[in-house]
Amino acid sequence: MTEDVKTKEQAKPEVPMVSFTIDGRQESVPKGTTVLEAAKELGIHIPTFCWHPKLKSVGSCRMCYVEIEKWPKLAVSCATEVMPDMVVFTNSEKVKQGRKAILEFILANHPLDCPTCDKGGECDLQNLTFAHGIDDNRFDFQKNRFTSSTEGTTFDDKRIGPEIILNRNRCILCYKCVRANKEAFGEYDLGVYERGNIAEINSAPGKQVTNPFSGNLVQICPVGALTGADWRYKIRVWLTKTSPSICNFSSSGANILFYKDENKNKIHRVTARRNDAIDDGWIPDITRYGYQIVGSDERLKTPLIKKEGKQVEATWDEALDLIAKKLNEINEKKGRVCIGGMAAPHIDNAGLYSFSKLFRTVFKNNNVDHRSNYRMLPKEAGSHYITLCNRKFRISDIDDSDVIVIFGSDLLKEHHNLYLRIRKAYNFNNSRIFSVNPYSMKSSDVSEAELVYNVGTDEVLVNAIGLAAIEMELVDNTIGQKFKEKIIHKTLSEASGVCGVDEDLIKLIARAIANSKKISFICGELFSRSLARDNISSAILNINKLFGIENKGQIIALARYANSCGANKMAILPNPSKAVVDKLTELWGEYPEAEPKNTDAMLALMRKEEINGALIMGMNPIMMYPDRQFVTEGLERLDFLIACDMFETETTEIADVVLPMSSWAEYPGSYVNQEGILQTVPAAVKKLHQSKSPFEIVKCIAEKLEAQLFESDEQLNNEIEQLLSINDSDILPDEFLKVKFNPEEIEDDYLIPLFIGDDPHHSGYLTQKSNSLNNFRSEAYLELSPELAQKLGIEGGESVRVESPVGKIIVPTIISDYLDNDVVFIPRNFSTTPVTSLLMRKHRIDRVKISRVDE
Amino acid sequence: MFYSPVITNAAEAAKSDRLHLFKYVEDPDQDKLDTFVKHGGYAAWRKVLDGMKPDEVIAEVKTSGPRGRGGAGFPTGMKWGFIPKDSPKPRYLCCNADESEPGTCKDRVLMERDPHGVIEGMAIASYAIGCHLMFIYIRGEFFFCAQQIEAAMKEAYAKGYLGKNIFGSGYDLEMIVHTGGGAYICGEETALLNSIEGHRGMSRIRPPFPAIEGLYACPTIVNNVESLASVPHIINRGGEWYKTLGTEKSCGSKIFSLSGHVKRPGNYEVELGFSLKKLIYDEAYGGGILGDKKLKGVIPGGSSTPFLLPDMIDVNLDYESLVEKGSMLGSGAVIVFHEDTCIVWVIKKLIHFYRHESCGKCTPCREGTGWLEKIINRIEAGQGKPGDLEKIDDICNNIMGRTICPLGDAAVMPIQSSLKLFRDEWQYHIEHGKCMVKSDFSFG
Repeated sequence: MTEDVKTKEQAKPEVPMVSFTIDGRQESVPKGTTVLEAAKELGIHIPTFCWHPKLKSVGSCRMCYVEIEKWPKLAVSCATEVMPDMVVFTNSEKVKQGRKAILEFILANHPLDCPTCDKGGECDLQNLTFAHGIDDNRFDFQKNRFTSSTEGTTFDDKRIGPEIILNRNRCILCYKCVRANKEAFGEYDLGVYERGNIAEINSAPGKQVTNPFSGNLVQICPVGALTGADWRYKIRVWLTKTSPSICNFSSSGANILFYKDENKNKIHRVTARRNDAIDDGWIPDITRYGYQIVGSDERLKTPLIKKEGKQVEATWDEALDLIAKKLNEINEKKGRVCIGGMAAPHIDNAGLYSFSKLFRTVFKNNNVDHRSNYRMLPKEAGSHYITLCNRKFRISDIDDSDVIVIFGSDLLKEHHNLYLRIRKAYNFNNSRIFSVNPYSMKSSDVSEAELVYNVGTDEVLVNAIGLAAIEMELVDNTIGQKFKEKIIHKTLSEASGVCGVDEDLIKLIARAIANSKKISFICGELFSRSLARDNISSAILNINKLFGIENKGQIIALARYANSCGANKMAILPNPSKAVVDKLTELWGEYPEAEPKNTDAMLALMRKEEINGALIMGMNPIMMYPDRQFVTEGLERLDFLIACDMFETETTEIADVVLPMSSWAEYPGSYVNQEGILQTVPAAVKKLHQSKSPFEIVKCIAEKLEAQLFESDEQLNNEIEQLLSINDSDILPDEFLKVKFNPEEIEDDYLIPLFIGDDPHHSGYLTQKSNSLNNFRSEAYLELSPELAQKLGIEGGESVRVESPVGKIIVPTIISDYLDNDVVFIPRNFSTTPVTSLLMRKHRIDRVKISRVDE
Repeated sequence: MFYSPVITNAAEAAKSDRLHLFKYVEDPDQDKLDTFVKHGGYAAWRKVLDGMKPDEVIAEVKTSGPRGRGGAGFPTGMKWGFIPKDSPKPRYLCCNADESEPGTCKDRVLMERDPHGVIEGMAIASYAIGCHLMFIYIRGEFFFCAQQIEAAMKEAYAKGYLGKNIFGSGYDLEMIVHTGGGAYICGEETALLNSIEGHRGMSRIRPPFPAIEGLYACPTIVNNVESLASVPHIINRGGEWYKTLGTEKSCGSKIFSLSGHVKRPGNYEVELGFSLKKLIYDEAYGGGILGDKKLKGVIPGGSSTPFLLPDMIDVNLDYESLVEKGSMLGSGAVIVFHEDTCIVWVIKKLIHFYRHESCGKCTPCREGTGWLEKIINRIEAGQGKPGDLEKIDDICNNIMGRTICPLGDAAVMPIQSSLKLFRDEWQYHIEHGKCMVKSDFSFG
């Protein structure tokens, strides 16, 4: 059932091959391969502790010794390149002696406390000691001992992060954790202290390891020095079974492995399942600890029906009967066109496709959308925004891009795996990175230049890059003149004045784009969420044409959710592309002619009581849609609301029928990640409580309405397959596009731009049910720069009142090293702080005023 | 005057036509630029900028063939030649002034008393390799050295010997003085580079060698102070002249730091090939063993080189002759022990040093030195066990040649040599729980 996406690392043809002998085998490998990598490739096992495939070799543990003919000393294979005619022995007596000596050294000060160690059974040190048959200990001294200040424990158990427990006695100082933290994640909250044989790994003084990738440190620890608080002492690893899956909280589709107790139908842990095309073996904490929502006590256990204003438990039959009755009533009264549907983009393809088919063939309307988190989306199929979103790209191509532009994207908050790719390109490829955003953010530390433009001038800045290229004569002048005709600001100085970025910086990035050999131009959530997304898209498509970006690289418009791309392909859009409509017509023999309505349109019609019933699946628009008042009013005026979810949410609270939905771990499904990779995963556990998978829910509803969506599973799979195989590539416009620009009107009282997004440790509204993630952050905060804090007279940690024309909340503050430009940020992940109540859907930029609570 | 009160043979050097490093080190004004220039300083720097091409400078130094004075003895000119010609990256020169090998104190004298000589050598080397930013990494404890170098650097900047467009040649050269935190390992070239970059002082794995990818991943040459200080003299008087100093294979002069149980411990500049016996016993140098006792052994090249027994000291101080005797020239620190020295005690002190200075990066050195220290302490305290010596030997074998940098080798070489040469003493310690010798000695 599982279909791992295989690594697409083919030997590049231009790399010359080197032939050598290893253990008597004549082999050849690409030049530059280390002996260790070559051996792994050839299936020869060489033990390691400090080596990691995605980190630079440091050769510190010395476990990977090999003998090389004519070399006087043993060589460390992780840092020795294969040379022509080299003769390597990986298992000679000298090698065995060398490795055994290293193990003896390592074990000298190791406590050998395996019975109380949680790593037992999956410990590299345990396994290698076993493999080398060491049964003697010549070290007859008191071992070096660290003691932690934690009282009531006999060993060094030091909590160095919300989820990490450190035991320095077990540490063998391979430094892998510190190196990964620094090299791969760009974090410095874990370090080495002291020196020599009393060196220790520890968190920075007075600090905790709270970075959003901290769980990886536990996974790569070769011994029990770093253990995960969420896993240890719960179950022995050999009593668990593993089940492959993918992340359901991010669009990268990072590959994971569930560790489950089959008897108790419970998941105990998630680890990364390395897939170089997607995640390089690193997963963010959201992916690692997000699984806890599956087994949460707060899961909806049975269907709920509203009776006399109160929701009470009901059976599936009661709930479904009521649904059928009410939907038929609406149908009879006003027609089925008055039923709206929203389905979450983290549901699998089968769920989404059946949802679309239910609406289009049974309700005969086009009221479906999966994008409930964006304001005022374009309705039409061919909008420039959609064109941009449909650009084809490969995440792994970022690795060797020489120029990377990050435009409108706080990657650390929204696209963790992509963020790591950027760092990798910087570390291993010396890529030039340009961060172009309305505020300063973490990726700036690897950026050659950070361009912070005035809030709400995105398209002007993009135009300015084009203008700079024209003024420096980096592009053809006649084409340049055509470009100029379509934009408002005609000179670089004018545009630079409007967007507030120094001309030299714009010239620098223009030159970099023009001279690059392979470029990745990344557009993220700040751009997708903007009301002016269509306009900005036009500007980006223009400079794509001007510089020929796609001729020598790629434009990456990022999707946000686990199956956003799948939802597009499954036609959970009011107005899918013509190819999709044609295919659906062919499959179904019909296609509704009703006017397509997106989320905004549906909500507006609900307010006007022109849509009377709605089916919302796995979504919480009240919390996530950027205008809480608007969405609440709409949903409250419905005659009949069906909400399916895993938990009680703001949306299920006002629903007439609530259906318990299974999580992605409980049903098999296929998902399409941001770059279009299809991944199929099995169910890890049996469905919990009385929940049903999204597909089953749709199927049950259809059956109650006496409609049969699919005759068989084969039919379902076949139809999905046909939809997936549509190559939906948009044709780029021939001409430059007109780029409008309306300067924002600012109300005097409300001056401070507010950005809403995800906390680095949370995603959407579901992760607040994960205890581990809550240990990192469990409540909302207002993040602001030290300068702004000083201006407002606010101290870090203090609670402030945040007011907009439509709402008011009180949140504590956090002073951040980033976020200059006088903007503030509030995460949207916590029900306790209804931050979307500050937002208005028709505003391009939400502005607020901030005051101290005591004022 | 803060000069360390160390004896030198400056008077001899002043009269000599061949010795050059110590010629003016007793002149209290030698650290002033004017005096330095009066004594012929910066002439080579002018000569080089006046019309020598970088390749000619390298060729001159290659002809003269001096070997690095830091300990490893790698030919200086050849090292410079490893800088890739076509790299678009900037190049760097780092002067290794992290002199920390126990017994070695030669660079310190040069930096304290003749800082311009060091700067001139660095400048010429920079020019030769095409570098425009040079660093000097000075050991943390050498506070006065750093002051002297810094003052000299400021004077050189002020008078146009460093900075932009030096002597109107169009050549720019900047200098940075970087002081360490007092870690022995930072004298190892890659650890030194890490330290300058702001990382932990831990050695890097090679390849890539610093000449290809060194400081900030750019081509870098790391040279010892003494090596660089001799460069101006090579330029002034020619490589051919320099070649006439010393022996055929080990040419030039070398400063030996004589310490331990001798009457006149000090720094002596002699031509390579000088007799070790003469250095220890001659009135002009060591002046014989302290208290006229019998000699027990000599470490000829810094604490990380193997011992020489009294019957082996009739040897010439050059790279080849010492290797023949089973030891090494190293950094030229001659440590002398008289008959009342307990060798086990000496080794205990040494292994303590190496255990303390091991950076902890690679397993054999980190764990091995700690383990060795524990065993040797036990033996020295009279609680040695049968089999301890074999165990020490075995641990040493497991460290030797198995580490990233030479610190591991350095730690075990004197131990293994003492086990071989003074085994009876070790044995006695284990069997009797005390020293074989009177051991009423001290190093003062």
